[in-house]
Amino acid sequence: MSMERTVTQAERVSGGLWEGIKAVLARIGFSPLGVVAFIIIALLPLVPPFNQEHIMRWLVMGAFLGAQAVAFDFTAGYINVVNFGFAAILGVGAYTSAVLSNTLPILIVQPGLPPWLTIWIGALAAGLIGFLLGMLTLRLRGIFAAVMAWFVGIALMGLATNMPKLTRGSLGFAPPPLLNTTNNLPYYYVALGMLLLTYICLRLVTNSHMGLAFRAIGQNIDAARASGINPTRYRVINFTLSCVFAGLLGGFYAHYIGSLTPRTVMHTSKTVEVLALAYIGGRGSMWGGAAVAFPFVFFIEYLRSNLSQLPGLHMVIYGVLLIIVMIFYPGGAAQLYSTIARRIQRRAKGG
Amino acid sequence: MAALLEVEHINAGYGFLQVLWDVSLKVEKGEFVCLLGANGAGKTTTLRTIAGFLKPTAGDIRFEGQSIAKTPAYQISQMGISFVSESLNLFTNMSVRENLLLGAYRVLDKKKQLQALDFVYSLFPRLKERERQLAGTMSGGERKMLAIARGMMSMPKLLLVDEPSLGLAPQVVVTVFEALQTLRKEGVTILLVEQNVPSTLRITDRGYVMEQGKIVLEGPSKELMNNEHVRVAYMGI
Amino acid sequence: MEATRVQPSFLERVMLNMRARPAAWIVIAMTLGFLVIIGIFAGPSQLINTIVTGGMWALMAVGLALVFGVMNIPHFAHGDSFMIGAYVAYFVFTPIQAYLRDNPNPFLSAVGPLIGWIAAALVGFVAGAVMEKLVFYPLRMRTRRGWVMNTFLLTVGISFVLVYGANLILGPNFRGVPNYWNVPPIVIGSVRLTMERIAAFVVAIVAIVAFWIFLSNTRTGRAIRAVAQDEMGAEMVGINLNFIYTLTFALATAMAALAGASLLFMFPAYPTVGLKPLYFAWYVVMLVGLGNVQGAIVGGFIVAVLQTLTQQFFGVSYEDVVPVVVMILVLLLVPNGIFGSEVKGIQEQ
Ligand SMILES: Nc1ncnc2c1ncn2[C@@H]1O[C@H](COP(=O)(O)OP(=O)(O)OP(=O)(O)O)[C@@H](O)[C@H]1O
Ligand SMILES: [Mg+2]
Repeated sequence: MSMERTVTQAERVSGGLWEGIKAVLARIGFSPLGVVAFIIIALLPLVPPFNQEHIMRWLVMGAFLGAQAVAFDFTAGYINVVNFGFAAILGVGAYTSAVLSNTLPILIVQPGLPPWLTIWIGALAAGLIGFLLGMLTLRLRGIFAAVMAWFVGIALMGLATNMPKLTRGSLGFAPPPLLNTTNNLPYYYVALGMLLLTYICLRLVTNSHMGLAFRAIGQNIDAARASGINPTRYRVINFTLSCVFAGLLGGFYAHYIGSLTPRTVMHTSKTVEVLALAYIGGRGSMWGGAAVAFPFVFFIEYLRSNLSQLPGLHMVIYGVLLIIVMIFYPGGAAQLYSTIARRIQRRAKGG
Repeated sequence: MAALLEVEHINAGYGFLQVLWDVSLKVEKGEFVCLLGANGAGKTTTLRTIAGFLKPTAGDIRFEGQSIAKTPAYQISQMGISFVSESLNLFTNMSVRENLLLGAYRVLDKKKQLQALDFVYSLFPRLKERERQLAGTMSGGERKMLAIARGMMSMPKLLLVDEPSLGLAPQVVVTVFEALQTLRKEGVTILLVEQNVPSTLRITDRGYVMEQGKIVLEGPSKELMNNEHVRVAYMGI
Repeated sequence: MEATRVQPSFLERVMLNMRARPAAWIVIAMTLGFLVIIGIFAGPSQLINTIVTGGMWALMAVGLALVFGVMNIPHFAHGDSFMIGAYVAYFVFTPIQAYLRDNPNPFLSAVGPLIGWIAAALVGFVAGAVMEKLVFYPLRMRTRRGWVMNTFLLTVGISFVLVYGANLILGPNFRGVPNYWNVPPIVIGSVRLTMERIAAFVVAIVAIVAFWIFLSNTRTGRAIRAVAQDEMGAEMVGINLNFIYTLTFALATAMAALAGASLLFMFPAYPTVGLKPLYFAWYVVMLVGLGNVQGAIVGGFIVAVLQTLTQQFFGVSYEDVVPVVVMILVLLLVPNGIFGSEVKGIQEQ
C-alpha cells in the first residue's frame, strides 16, 4: 500500500514539469500534438518546396481563412447562431482600417494613420457593429438571427458600394501595405500570429465559466434561461468578440492584399466559404477549421492552377463536402481526429 | 381463426428507458376491450407501439395475422387501425370538416367519405353544428369528440382510444362513452385505455390490467369488476 | 367535387387573419395607398411594374413559406431554383426560336415560350424531388436534433454546389431572351405594356391561384397542410410524411423555377442570378411571418411596393439598405411578422 503510493509520487515528481506544461497548454487550447503541428506549420515556408513566393501566398491565405473559421466557430459552434453577415463585418474592419490609413487623393479623406494602428481601430469598429447587430437580433431565435445578420451584411455591403467618395465603391482602391516589403514570408508570420492570437483569446474565453454559459445557450436556450443564464447578454458578448476578431482579420487582409472592393471581402459567398470550412473542420472545436484551412487552401489552389479549364470545381467540391459532413458526420474533421486518436490510444494500451 | 390483433411478448420503450416488459394481449374481431392501469403504467406506450409510433425491441405484433411490428405508422393506419391519442393531434388551423375529411384520407371513394361524414355527424351532432369552426378554437370536449370522429372516418377495423374521458365534465364523459358503445354496436372493434375504471368495465367485454409495464391481470370485464385487487387498487372500494 | 365548401375562402381567411392582427390591416391599407401614390406620381407604368414584380416575389415567397411551414427548412437555395428555371427556359426556348427563324409558324411562336416555362417547372419539380431525397431525407433518417439550423446549412451547401456547378458547366456568361414574343407592346394611353410583362404577371397569378386551390381543395393539398400543422396527426390518418416532404419540396422548387423562366426577359440566366430573388423572397417571409403561405402571397406585393418607393425616393442604390430598416422595425414591433408565423418547429432553437 505505502510502496504503491511512493511510486506514484515519484512518478508525479518526474512528470511534474511535463504535466504543468500540459495544463498550461490545455488552458489555451493546445494539446502537445497541436503544438507540434503548429510549429511544423510555422516552419513550413523555410523548407522547399514551400519557400516559393506563390506557395507562401497560399500559406498566408490558409492562416487568414483558418483564423476566420476560428472566429466564426466561436459563435456558430458555441451559441449556435450562424453569423451570416460575417464577411460583411470583416469588411467593416477592412474598410475602416484602409480608409483611416489612406494617403491617396482618390478618396475624400487622407488621414494617413499607420496601418499598424488602424487595423486595431478597424477591429473595434467591427466589434461595435457586431455589438449593435447582436443587440438587434440576438433576442431572436437562431434562424431569425441568421437571416437578420445576412440582411445587415447585405446592407453593409450596399453601403460600402454606395459611398464612392469614401470607398470608391465597386471600383475599389489600394490601401497602403502593412509591411515595408513585397515578400510573403513576414506577412505569413503576421497572419500566423493573428491566427494564434484569435485562437488563444477566444479559447481562454470558452475555457472560462463563460464558455459553459455559451454552450448551455447553444444547446437549449430555454433551459439555460431557466437556470438563470441571461441568454441575450451572453449572446451579445459572444457576437461582439467574434466580430472584433473578424474586423482585425479584415484589416490585415486589406493591407496585405493591397486592393479592396466590397465584393471581394463582404459578399455572402465569402461568409459561406468560412462557414463551410468551420463545419468541415468540426463545429464547436474551434481548432478544426484552422487545421483544415491549410490543406484546403493547397487543395483549392492546386485545382485552380491545374484544372483551369474547370473553373470553380473546388467550390463544388467544397459544397459537396459541406453537405456530406452535415448529413453524415456532423463532428467534422475534429471528431474524426479524436476518434482515431482514441483508437490508437486504446490499441497502445492493449498492446 | 387468429384474433384481429395479437400482441405477443413485446418489449418497448423510449431510448434506453424500457417501459413495456413482455406484454401480450389479444383483441378478437368485434370485441370491446379495455386496458387499465395507474399513471405511468405504460398504457399509452402500448397503444403507441401498436399504432407504429414506437417500435418494439422484442416480440411481435400481428394484425389480421400479418406482422406489423416493423411497419411504419402511416401504413398501419392504412391497414385499418385508427389511433385516437391522448393529445388528440388535431389539425388546429383547419375546420372541423377538413379534419374529418383528413380522417378519411385513406378512403379514396368520395361517396364513402360523405357516408362516413354523415355517420360521425349522427354520432356527434355537435360536430355538424360546428362544421366550419377551426378545430383549435373548439372546447376540450368538442375536440375529444372530433378526434374520435376523425378516427372513425376511415371505418377502421380496429380503433385504439387513449383516455377519452380525461379532463372532461361527467356529462361529456357520458356522451363520449355512449358514442363508443354505439360504435361497438356498429361492429367496430375497440381497444380502450381508461382511468375511469367502473364505467369502463361496465361497457367493455374484456379487460387487461397493467402495472409497471407488465400485464398483471386479464379477464372478462364482469370478473374484473368483482376482482379483489381491481376493487382495492382501482375502484377505491 | 366537394358537396359544400369545406373551409373559409381565401378572402375570408385573410379577413379572419386581419381581425386578429391590426398590424396587417394597417400595412395592407398603407400598401394600397402607396400603390395609388405610385400610380399618380410615378406614372401608371411604374404602377404596372410594381404589380408585376409583386406577383413574382409572391410566387417565390410562397415556395419559401411552404418549405418552411411544412418541413421546417429555411431554404437558402431557393434562389438557385430560380436560376435552374432561367437556364432551362433559355435552353429550351432558344432552339425553338432558331427553328422559327427558318420556319415561321404563328402557332409555335405563340406557344414557344410556354413550352420553355413548362419545361422549367418540370425540371424544377424533378430537381426539387432529387434534392429532398438526396439531402434532407438522409439527414431526417439520421437525426432531427437541431433540424432548423442543420438544414439551413445544408441548403447553403446546396446553393454552393448549384451556383458553382452552373459556373463550371455553363460558365459565368449571361444568357438572356430579351423578347419571348416578337409583338409590339400594347399601348394604353401613356402606358406601354410588353407582352412579356403581361405574361409574367399572368403566370404568377395563375400559378398562385392554382396552387391555392390545390392546397385548400384537394386531398393531397390538404395532406400537405396537415403535415404542416401536426405531423403525428398526419401519420395517424395514414399520410406518408416522406411523400409529402418530397412533394412539397418539389412543388416549391417548381414554382421558383417557373418564376425564373418567366422572368428571363428581365433577369438573364447566369450562375448567381438567384441571389436577388432569394433575398426578396426572404424579405417577404420575414416580413409577413415565417411559414405563412397566405401572408407570403400578400407580402410579395407589399415588398414590391416598398421596393418601388425606395427606388423613387432614395434611388436604386439604397435597395439593399431600406429592407433592413423595415425589417428591424417589423421585428421590434411584431416579432412574429405582420401576419403571424404558422410554424410547428419555430420553438426549436
Ligand atoms: N416520450 C417519452 N420519453 C421518455 N419517457 C416516456 C415518454 N413517454 C412516456 N414515458 C415514460 O414511460 C412510462 C409509461 O408512460 P405511459 O405514458 O405509457 O403511461 P400511461 O400508462 O399512459 O400513464 P397515464 O395514465 O398517466 O397516461 C412513464 O414512466 C413515462 O415517464
Ligand atoms: Mg397515458
